[in-house]
Amino acid sequence: MAGAANLIVLAAGDNVGIALRDIPAGDVAATLAGLSLLAEEPIPQGHKIALHDIAAQQDVVRLGMPVAITREAIARGHLVHVHNVASRYLNNDEDHYE
Amino acid sequence: MSSLGIETPAPSVASPVIANRMRGYARQDGRKGIRNYLLVAYLVECAHHVARMIAAPHQQGGVQLVGFPGCYPSDYADRVMTDIATHPNVGAVLLVSLGCEEFQRTRLKAAIAASGRPVELLTIQACGGTAGTVARGREWVEQQLVSLTAAPTVPVGLSDLVIGTKCGGSDGLSGVTINPAVGFASDLLVDAGAAVMFEETCELIGCEEHMASRAVTPELAEALRAAVRKADEYYTALGHGSFGGGNIKYGLSTLEEKSLGAYAKSGSRPIRGVLKPGVRPPSGGLYLMDTVNDGPVRFGIPNINDTQTITEMVASGCHLILFTTGAGSVVGQAVAPVIKGVSNSRTYHRMEGDMDVNGGTIADGVETVEDVGRHLVDAIIAAASGEPTKSEALGHQEFVLAYKTYEPLGPGCLPV
Repeated sequence: MAGAANLIVLAAGDNVGIALRDIPAGDVAATLAGLSLLAEEPIPQGHKIALHDIAAQQDVVRLGMPVAITREAIARGHLVHVHNVASRYLNNDEDHYE
Repeated sequence: MSSLGIETPAPSVASPVIANRMRGYARQDGRKGIRNYLLVAYLVECAHHVARMIAAPHQQGGVQLVGFPGCYPSDYADRVMTDIATHPNVGAVLLVSLGCEEFQRTRLKAAIAASGRPVELLTIQACGGTAGTVARGREWVEQQLVSLTAAPTVPVGLSDLVIGTKCGGSDGLSGVTINPAVGFASDLLVDAGAAVMFEETCELIGCEEHMASRAVTPELAEALRAAVRKADEYYTALGHGSFGGGNIKYGLSTLEEKSLGAYAKSGSRPIRGVLKPGVRPPSGGLYLMDTVNDGPVRFGIPNINDTQTITEMVASGCHLILFTTGAGSVVGQAVAPVIKGVSNSRTYHRMEGDMDVNGGTIADGVETVEDVGRHLVDAIIAAASGEPTKSEALGHQEFVLAYKTYEPLGPGCLPV
């Protein structure tokens, strides 16, 4: 699958992309549509990477829908997950971590 | 309205040549069926075996088995059975009754006859028991099959179709690959004039505001919020459903992000109404099907499995079901062919005989969401042209009908 995309951006305007495979730190994350950026830390399959710098208390937008609020600023290329975002609906702190 | 899903260019659905292959059966009520099935329907579990024996010789010859297991009366089951027995994909119906169950069999028979379909009612207690009923039933089925197979067909367009979308056995890629592809297919179908319905209100918690923003009227927006609120309250009372460790391991960070995985199947078009089982979409466009009981919590979990929800969408007129899976469901349906799309290539290759469309190519980085969405529409056109789906070819005829209660639709649910 050389040359195949390892990242997908589900809708124009999203500020996160989803890793289609495990992306090691330092690798380029690239979509079939030609968008690419550097993964600053490991992005496991199915997890989200910040497509650009996102300030604290901002919407995380996936497929055009706000799916979380940032708890802190997240820099481009970093993992977006429960350690730095929160739900509008229910607490997802350590008690949910495996 | 903010858009959900991929920015879509003007849709082009396959080639007109391919779409023109679609043929169906004109029904008295103006609808068109894409199958001309003979249904054998048992009206209580006690008649199930006899009905199965009647249908068995023609299991893959257009005879489908459905039924209701309960003995006590149920307005809901009466209504769904009537909707199923007069569904456009059905050409004739044989009812099999034990004789002492409470089902309103005479009323059902009259409704089927009034729809212009051949119908017969056999009562096991009056037909000499198992052997006598099976013999008479098979004789009737064989007579009917002659005319059903020779029935004339008419052209069918996508605007004649009602499509249901459903997911089951989802995995970490479902919300990334195949569900957004179904959403894109949903947009193409809606733009071509089809009616499309999505459901699973219990898995839409967190999407209600986005859904409301897509509603065609403010009253409908409130009805959409209320449908999700009802599901939330119902499942909270049942102590069921939440967001947790497994979801987080897959990369989902919040409840609303998890819900988005299912919601992605709805695509980006305006939402035209809320339906309940048996209520048909009044026109083309996108609808939410509310499959959670009304009133106080009773009868247990609203939908005990995927098949029960599919049965309810078929009762609302779905000709075909787009079903997505990650782990690898194999289900079909007795009345509406099921087209299965899978989220990952590993499951696709492990269960290729059951899967119609592979969305794993998106995760493999070789196809786009739009590519797979077009494959799904092509699969619908093929199925509506008479080609059996994988589950049909394998003889799948799943059907589940249980006790439920619904109140009539509220005033804002179906703005015209």
